[in-house]
Amino acid sequence: MSTNQKSSVLIVDDEEMVITSVRAYLEIESEFEVHGFTSPEEAAKYLESNLVDIAVSDYLMPRMSGIQFLHRAREIQPEASRVLLTGHADKQSAIQAINQVGLYQYVEKPWENEQLLLIIQNGIERAKLLRDLRAKVSELDTAHSSLKNVQKRLLQAFL
Amino acid sequence: MSQPDPLPAANDVEALRAQVEHLAAQLSEEYKMASIGRLLAGIVHEINSPIGSILSNNQVILRALERVEQALAGGDPASLAKAKGLVGTCRSLAAVDKIACERIAEVVRGLKTFARVESADLRKVNLNEQIQNTLKLTHGEFKNRITVETDLGELPPVECHANMLNQVFLNILVNAGQAIEGQGKITVRTRREGDQVHITISDTGPGIRPEDRPKIFAQGFTTKPVGVGTGLGLSISKKIVEETHGGSLDFESEAGAGTTFHIRVPIEQDRQAAGKPPGGRT
Repeated sequence: MSTNQKSSVLIVDDEEMVITSVRAYLEIESEFEVHGFTSPEEAAKYLESNLVDIAVSDYLMPRMSGIQFLHRAREIQPEASRVLLTGHADKQSAIQAINQVGLYQYVEKPWENEQLLLIIQNGIERAKLLRDLRAKVSELDTAHSSLKNVQKRLLQAFL
Repeated sequence: MSQPDPLPAANDVEALRAQVEHLAAQLSEEYKMASIGRLLAGIVHEINSPIGSILSNNQVILRALERVEQALAGGDPASLAKAKGLVGTCRSLAAVDKIACERIAEVVRGLKTFARVESADLRKVNLNEQIQNTLKLTHGEFKNRITVETDLGELPPVECHANMLNQVFLNILVNAGQAIEGQGKITVRTRREGDQVHITISDTGPGIRPEDRPKIFAQGFTTKPVGVGTGLGLSISKKIVEETHGGSLDFESEAGAGTTFHIRVPIEQDRQAAGKPPGGRT
């Protein structure tokens, strides 16, 4: 994954108005690509074929809760950062989210735009670093195995 | 044989009755507030989304206006095109704000129907509207697992104590929601039947156990854990529908197939002073 590609933000909320507001803010303040879904099922489907850097999800939604969705997101794209944006006045859900889905941040509604932007920026950076790290590790793996091959052939040549 | 207690004087009986009635009214009021309290987390969620949206939009609109100003000062075609785009953004956010404000107003309207009013406040209301307002309060609590279907028929204005009937609707809806484990459906149906209105609230829960059925309207009977059920909801509801309004509250339940509550309320209350023909009661 090249780093000069536009960063991609996924927003899931059954309230269209939340998606519209966050999208308008991010469009005016950042260069991120914003993909919004009112259905968590459709968002999960999108994740299966499109790389995102951060997934921001509401908690209370019909059919699939935010925790269930972020759990699914973690399975599909483990490097993407996961943020719960919730108006549910319930710390239990926060604890559950942090423990079950490896949450990156928990944001309460009504949210502060600057805070949300900072979280999204950092979350994107975190995802990119994780992906770079994974790429480097796999490069190292390849280099290591080819070195091993060379070493083996050298030994064979001399023995 | 011991001497029986002397009968209390008529005055004492009156005073005691008044006291019992006062306490019952107080209990009913406290129960109502407690049931709203239980829905509070869902209600807060319903309000926080639109508030978050409005606050965010406000900031974006101010920022957009700053940029429009800059673009206008620039005056070149590219800047003007950009300004036009920003105006479009502002317009769409203003539309979102309107929807958000309406959403908050709806929830507040739902809460208002439960506000304490004079018990003598008998007036004609649209019960379908009242039911929809009450459903606004349970929406947050239900939406991740329960679908609510409404089939609201045409109803004449019903003369009633609306806040009390709303308490009955809320109570039966909350019970239905608690009865459903996991995903399920609640159906609310209203019909006019002669000189009364018939409201049914059905759930797809496991049904009421046959041995519990004779007891569910008894004060203090509950199958819910301590802290969840008080055993007051249905006994208060029955009193409101039958004693206060001269209607009827019944249910049918089948193991595995759910429960349906039938609320029947006369369209007009039987009042001598009103100078109207008597309503559903004979």
